[in-house]
Amino acid sequence: MLATTLYEDGDHRWIMFARDPQKAEGIIDTNQYMVQSGDQAILLDPGGIELFAPMLSAVLKFVPAEHITHLFASHQDPDIISSLGLWDQALPNAKLYSPWLWESFIRHFGMEKIEFCAIPDEGMTLNIGRIQLQFIPAHYLHSSGNFHVYDPKAKILMSGDVGAAMESTDAPLWVDTMSTHIPKMRKFHQRWMPSNEAKLDWIRRARQLDIQIMAPQHGRLFQPPHVQEFLNWFEDLPVGIAIKG
Amino acid sequence: MATPIFVTAASIAAELHQAMLEAKGLALTAKNARALAVRAGSKTVGFKAITHFIDELASDIIRQSQYINGVSEHLSHNAVALWRASTAAEKFDWIATQHSDNIASLHHAMQSCYQQREALSHTLSRGLRELEQQLEEGDKHIRTANLIATSSKVEAASAGDFRNQLEVIAQNITDTADKIRAHLSQARRLLGQRQKHTP
Ligand SMILES: [Fe+2]
Ligand SMILES: [Fe+2]
Repeated sequence: MLATTLYEDGDHRWIMFARDPQKAEGIIDTNQYMVQSGDQAILLDPGGIELFAPMLSAVLKFVPAEHITHLFASHQDPDIISSLGLWDQALPNAKLYSPWLWESFIRHFGMEKIEFCAIPDEGMTLNIGRIQLQFIPAHYLHSSGNFHVYDPKAKILMSGDVGAAMESTDAPLWVDTMSTHIPKMRKFHQRWMPSNEAKLDWIRRARQLDIQIMAPQHGRLFQPPHVQEFLNWFEDLPVGIAIKG
Repeated sequence: MATPIFVTAASIAAELHQAMLEAKGLALTAKNARALAVRAGSKTVGFKAITHFIDELASDIIRQSQYINGVSEHLSHNAVALWRASTAAEKFDWIATQHSDNIASLHHAMQSCYQQREALSHTLSRGLRELEQQLEEGDKHIRTANLIATSSKVEAASAGDFRNQLEVIAQNITDTADKIRAHLSQARRLLGQRQKHTP
């Protein structure tokens, strides 16, 4: 599992875990993130059950287990949180923040010790160590209960499936030119995102944020000016196309 | 590859459920036989007495099947929990070989996971032993059923006009006992197979 430090200021860090060389064929490649401040850390979309061992092993290279105090699941998908039953054994005192809508579904992954903390539809803030994270509503993008995570100090937006691209495991981490990257995103966004109205609501929210890094759960990361270019492209993209099929 | 215990235990529960349904059929047979014996009067006094035994046997088998069914279902749940704890434990074992940095911080979680695995596997082997004993008990009931079936045939032979009807009932008892025996031995076969693979 490749670990990349995206941001570091004292003990405030963003680490990205991705491009697992042992990843099995036929499983979508995912980006996992850890935000750390002081002796607290949160794992953002910790990933699928098959990824648990390499993930925990990689995370422990940065922090001891008792410092992983929080987990976050942007939505209910298996590539996001099907590892929960194993994290439940490893981090019995942790809290899982996730959309309230998905509580009774996510519990199917097995959660006996970890505490479920429901995020209300309008979002909320969460203190990790000395920093404050914001859970930004991203409902229907693509899941009907869905949040992104914004760190106003690091200026990083973890954007879940928004901005996702299907790439090989050896693809570069950063978007270099939008014209070559757009073809890798178009089909995914058109087919998976159901609502143009939801899309525009999210773009309005995103434009109010100062984003230095937009970090999706699949594929490459965006930096200015690609962040703004992405928002413009997404704004014009018709989504929810399957019903026309 | 060995079948996981939770599948085996669930299959045993299913066999015992079938055995219980057969036993319910047996209870019905006993009821019919008694009604017939009452109508037949003095010639079937012996048969009438036997129907009480059939009835008793049927409710014994029903009770015991339900019990074994419960034991094996519990066992199946237990085995699923054990499988989950073992899966986590295997992942922890692998992580422990990867590096030493913060591995000590996992110590507590690892220990409680290993302990849980230990406790569950203990409960599981106790449950498997109990299941084996209960299935042996079941065999005794089958032997009783065969005795009853034989006596019924003897009594039927001296029942005059009712002979044919009583013979049908006696045959019914033999057939049902055979079916229950088949379910029990299938359950024992499953259990035996499992234990061959379990150290
Ligand atoms: Fe998703
Ligand atoms: Fe995803």
